[in-house]
Amino acid sequence: MTDLESRLDQIVPEPQFSPRANRGPLMISMKNVSKRYVANRAALENINVEVAAGEFVFIVGHSGSGKSTFIRMLLREVIPSSGQIIVAGHDLGRLKNSKVPYLRRNIGCVFQDFKLLPNKTAFENVAFALQVIGKSKHVINTQVPEVLRLVGLEGKIHNYPHELSGGEQQRVSVARAFVNRPPLLLCDEPTGNLDPQTSLGIMKLLERINRTGTTTLIATHDQEMVNYMRQRVIALDEGQLVRDQDRGVYGNVD
Amino acid sequence: MSINLGYFFSEAATSFRRNWVMTFGGIATIFLSLLLMGSALLMNSLVTDMTRDVESKISIKIWIHDEAEDADIDALHSQLLATENVASVVYFTKDMAMERFTEMMKDSPQIIEHLQDNPLPRSLEIELVDTQEIEGVLTIIRASEEFSRIANPPDNPEAALDYGEGIVEVLLDATQTARYVGMVFVGILAVVSLIFINNTIRLAIYARRNELSIMRLVGASNGFIRTPFVLEGVLQAVIGALLAILVLLGVKSFLFPGLQETLAFINFDFSNALMTQIALILLATGVAIGILGAVIAMRRYLKI
Repeated sequence: MTDLESRLDQIVPEPQFSPRANRGPLMISMKNVSKRYVANRAALENINVEVAAGEFVFIVGHSGSGKSTFIRMLLREVIPSSGQIIVAGHDLGRLKNSKVPYLRRNIGCVFQDFKLLPNKTAFENVAFALQVIGKSKHVINTQVPEVLRLVGLEGKIHNYPHELSGGEQQRVSVARAFVNRPPLLLCDEPTGNLDPQTSLGIMKLLERINRTGTTTLIATHDQEMVNYMRQRVIALDEGQLVRDQDRGVYGNVD
Repeated sequence: MSINLGYFFSEAATSFRRNWVMTFGGIATIFLSLLLMGSALLMNSLVTDMTRDVESKISIKIWIHDEAEDADIDALHSQLLATENVASVVYFTKDMAMERFTEMMKDSPQIIEHLQDNPLPRSLEIELVDTQEIEGVLTIIRASEEFSRIANPPDNPEAALDYGEGIVEVLLDATQTARYVGMVFVGILAVVSLIFINNTIRLAIYARRNELSIMRLVGASNGFIRTPFVLEGVLQAVIGALLAILVLLGVKSFLFPGLQETLAFINFDFSNALMTQIALILLATGVAIGILGAVIAMRRYLKI
């Protein structure tokens, strides 16, 4: 792990500013956002959140508190029942279906279940993301090995997912999310399937990526990790935003 | 763009191989429906030719009784000549009628010899411009006073009118019915092949749903996601269409010459222009069905 960190330090300069203290332009703005899947019960109720470019934010809460809905609304997989969402300059309410792909090219995604293609190697999995948005072979052949080196997998770029550990698979998934250098990285329970030690490695990796200027949002219920990282915490409970705190902890949301 | 083209074709080909049973079903149904459609088009051209042939031979004959006044005949003659849709009116005298009859009976001259005097009536024979509009001319004739005076037999003027009553109507009706039945069959088969292709593409989509969800996640455009599947649908349709065209050409070259000898009164000699036209129609219809089937199958998956 320390090996990886030293390598990352060579690539990524230390941040010059604390993002929260010195707010940059807005990456995410949610105004009075509500989502109801069924008529009377709200999955999210009247959410107001602003995230500046370059921030590192945890979204915490129990299962069913609305974390996933929150993330999926930013991806425009879920459309809010009311309210306004602006992500990376796109007003999602006005975004045409045909333009959604271009929004998503600005957002990297990491999931609990990795979502890797089993019949493709680590290299091919990452390359696939570039291939399908029309990048040339040259770009693929230079960027993919670089990003796999960044996540610490340079020795395993031609291994298939079943030949990799859970942590390594999640690293491939992070590499895929980051290979296009998106300004925003969304993670939905990225450490949900991993042991604490491996989780810490992934979290540090995400923090390093954040230091390159990538706004990072992580939905999680991993208390230890949130308490350890001391970053901004947004707590959701039954669809309500109950806490928004800089350098926060998981806290007692019961 | 060059890598994209390669990507699209290889994706389509892979899926083609993977689901070859369904693919075969898709090709077979589209082949059958297009073959039927091609046959219907050929049949249509055949029947149209035949009707036109029969129609062009239709004329109105007015039989004139022997005591009729020449003045009445002349009056009707000139009235008809002035009537719309009448191409020509020819007056047949008894001698001309006899001549024609003799000509018709030349294989059995004894019938002519047995005739004492000329029993054949005189007639006015009317050629029409448009045989479809025969009723208008008939109405004018029936309303004419001269006609009722010269009609043979005088007590039943309708019997004096001879225009192959009903033959055309029956023929046209039959053709029309055949056309409708053919269209319904072709329509049903087209829908069946649409459903088949739709299903094949759906299976292909299902087999690759993980890839598709990742493609959508990383922002592949809808066109990019859709193209391999549409290509697959089109490929099936084109193969089916080409098979149907080949079979039709085979029938034309090998089956029709034989039929022509047996059924000499039907013209089986289709022009190359007609065959090309039919081939193009089949190909276009096939491709349309292929694209439509794939696009319908994709629709659900491309909703965000």
